[in-house]
Amino acid sequence: MPEDPNSIDVRDVTFSYDVSDDDGSISPRAALDGISVNIKKGSYTAILGSNGSGKSTLAKIIDILEVPDSGKVVIFGKDAGDDELFWDIRSHCCCVFQNPDNQIVGTMIEEDVAFGPENLGVPNPELRERVDQALKDVGLYEYRNRETTALSGGQKQKLAIAGALAMRPDILILDEATAMLDPTSRDDFLALVEKMREEKGLTLITITHDMTEALRCDKVIIVNKGKAVLEGTPEEIFLSDDLWQYGLKRPVKFNFAFEIAKLTGNTLTKEDLKSDEALITRLTKMLNEPGIKMPEAIVKEEDKTEKEVVMSVKNLSYTYDGDNKAIDDINLDIMKGEVLGIVGESGCGKTTLISHMNAIFRPVQGDVIIHTKGGDLSCKNKKDTLKIRQNVGLVFQYPEYQLFEETVFKDIAYGLRKMNLDKKEQTVLIRDAAFKVGLTERELDSSPFELSGGQKRRAAMAGVLVMNPGILVLDEPASGLDPKGRQEMFGIIKRLRAQGTTIVLVSHNMDEAAVNCDRICLIDNGKIKAIGTPDELFDKDRAEELGIQRPRIARFSGALKNELAKIYPSIEFNEMYFNPEKEAAAVVTAVCKAGGANA
Amino acid sequence: MLKDISIGRYYPANSFLHSTDPRVKAILYAVYLVAIFMIKEPIAILVLFGIIVLQLILGKITPRILISTLKPIIPLVLFIFIINVFTIKQGNVLFAWKIISITDYGISRAGIMAVRLVLLIVSTSTLLTLTTTPLKMSDALESLFKPLQVIKVPVHEMSMMMSIALRFIPTLAVETDKIMKAQQSRGADYDTGSFINKVKGYITVLIPLFVSSFRRADELAVAMDARCYRGGKGRTKLNPLKLTLRDVLTCIMFTLLAVLVVVIDFSLR
Repeated sequence: MPEDPNSIDVRDVTFSYDVSDDDGSISPRAALDGISVNIKKGSYTAILGSNGSGKSTLAKIIDILEVPDSGKVVIFGKDAGDDELFWDIRSHCCCVFQNPDNQIVGTMIEEDVAFGPENLGVPNPELRERVDQALKDVGLYEYRNRETTALSGGQKQKLAIAGALAMRPDILILDEATAMLDPTSRDDFLALVEKMREEKGLTLITITHDMTEALRCDKVIIVNKGKAVLEGTPEEIFLSDDLWQYGLKRPVKFNFAFEIAKLTGNTLTKEDLKSDEALITRLTKMLNEPGIKMPEAIVKEEDKTEKEVVMSVKNLSYTYDGDNKAIDDINLDIMKGEVLGIVGESGCGKTTLISHMNAIFRPVQGDVIIHTKGGDLSCKNKKDTLKIRQNVGLVFQYPEYQLFEETVFKDIAYGLRKMNLDKKEQTVLIRDAAFKVGLTERELDSSPFELSGGQKRRAAMAGVLVMNPGILVLDEPASGLDPKGRQEMFGIIKRLRAQGTTIVLVSHNMDEAAVNCDRICLIDNGKIKAIGTPDELFDKDRAEELGIQRPRIARFSGALKNELAKIYPSIEFNEMYFNPEKEAAAVVTAVCKAGGANA
Repeated sequence: MLKDISIGRYYPANSFLHSTDPRVKAILYAVYLVAIFMIKEPIAILVLFGIIVLQLILGKITPRILISTLKPIIPLVLFIFIINVFTIKQGNVLFAWKIISITDYGISRAGIMAVRLVLLIVSTSTLLTLTTTPLKMSDALESLFKPLQVIKVPVHEMSMMMSIALRFIPTLAVETDKIMKAQQSRGADYDTGSFINKVKGYITVLIPLFVSSFRRADELAVAMDARCYRGGKGRTKLNPLKLTLRDVLTCIMFTLLAVLVVVIDFSLR
């Protein structure tokens, strides 16, 4: 049978990794279990799936970084099983991986870009020309003689793209390449990659957790337990009700639309999801039909905030040697029981600010005061340090990298060392902390390095929670997790809040900050630019004035509300919700009150 | 503290030394290493110091960068100076108290030792690390040691390993800093307590650092594989090493200067 020269054809591929079991024996674990996919030349495909679904392995199979146990892989008519075609195929397929630091080989930017073509044996002057062209394409040409370590995360990923382009590939695979970037760099990066795809006619495959990113593609493949379970255009995929069972979610605006359809007794079709305009037209039509039932009253979240200040940041400034001020005259009161969001772009000083909150950075200018039952503690005072760290738990980004003990139990116990507790009391506290983050007895006894990514993160959080801090500071707790993992993480935060823990949440995801925070503090260039409730900050005019991106739900719902106002001149939207289901109910309620569909 | 590590740090600039063939710099470094350890006389040291200043100028290395390179080794220099001052008993006694005695000869010897150490560090930085990127350095070593391939020494692989190790020093320094902060926020204490406790404390940093280094190594290996790395065979170079007449002259001139210094030293003895 002649092979199709215009597609990537993966047929019945199985692949398994060797994993060591508890008893030390080694057994294979299937990562791919008879997967078949077909990707057309020049297409833009998203591969979605939860952590551990096998989607990264699939990428490695396509780039022949792994050889399948069985099955066949044919890339543009070339059989990947043929040893003679091996390097030919691999040299035309490039990968960009998740962690920017771990794929840079060169110290200098141009040296790194040259690494690929050098391996291919490209001679000068073509080599020089390729490197220069690739650097110009990604906009890093001016930096070519700088050190790679001086780049930001977003720039490092662009460098990786340049390294790939210099090899003149046909296929570009992004393996969660945007997972560690902030939203601005992420948009920037995707725009660049899409431009390159058009200019160079690349076949682009992106493996991602970001559902909105998948919307940009022509085709979506969902991988679950080593099999391709769903395949289709983004509209077809997001119409499916099975997403959640694969650990995935619809993009926020679709959640909102589906909820409105449900409340008005309608269903959405593929055509409705094609564009924002089509969807809004359809939703407006739904809401303009007679007989809409008033939805049940929206359950409001109980406001746990008390009038008591638990931490005050006073005139805090900090300068790293020689640089500009990282934070500049910050004044902030944190109320008991609230969830305070700290948002801002990368490098705005968020991490510097929170590092002062438990005296990891001792205040040089200004002070941070922790108000406890036993009196006020000043972060300036060295003697209070231990007490402060027991009162304020700080969980940095990617906390799983701090695990070190033989078992999860011992690791969680580490924070208790200095608290003079007996074994029994310790055990109670450790179990309590593990329970709070949803770890089971079995996981407590296993090595932290055997856990899955999400479990590791929770184990590390438990290591801070075990000290029972009244205030918990979390730096991007959900970064790098799949949709289900993110949801679980915010579930944990919600439970902690319900138990009365004050939470400071650093995030660059406006959608999540808006849903989960009582107040949001916007930091820009080391200063507090605005502080207020999500409603206040993400009000259309206010958000524009502040120059911040509103949460996606607010933008989409706002567009729908504008249309509705044309039909119902008297309509009033009293409240804004950032949870798509609640916002949908609020919109339907408003329509009913305005004399829904002339009923 | 860890961010200040300047060993292996490259200082980008456009200078005479930066554009000199790294092989020449490696050879000169070996020459000066020998010269520094051969000389004893203050005048010879002074002349050598002058040559090194000339090299600093040729490398466009500012005093600020030089100081930041030297800062971390000041304690070591002081330590060597003090040990020598107290242990050398020859010469005229200037000061004596119980078993401690300081002699003029001791001070001058200790001073020379300290100055030599400083010169050694300065010439390592100017000739090698500050003006040569790790990749070029490994290219140079690969080229210089190529003859060893005949006896099956994996020269290319070793030089690749070296350049990757150097490339990851700053990355791991940042990582160490992060891990320390994370452990501090759950009660680790690296500043106070007994020496043993401090060492124990560092285990909480070292284990996560090892784990993460292995993970990085794994990921890097896959990334290099994806970029078609397959050893030194058939590889081309973006900036191939080319020995120019200027390089040869530089090599001869600075070698002669080093010989001159040694001759001065021997003639003064």
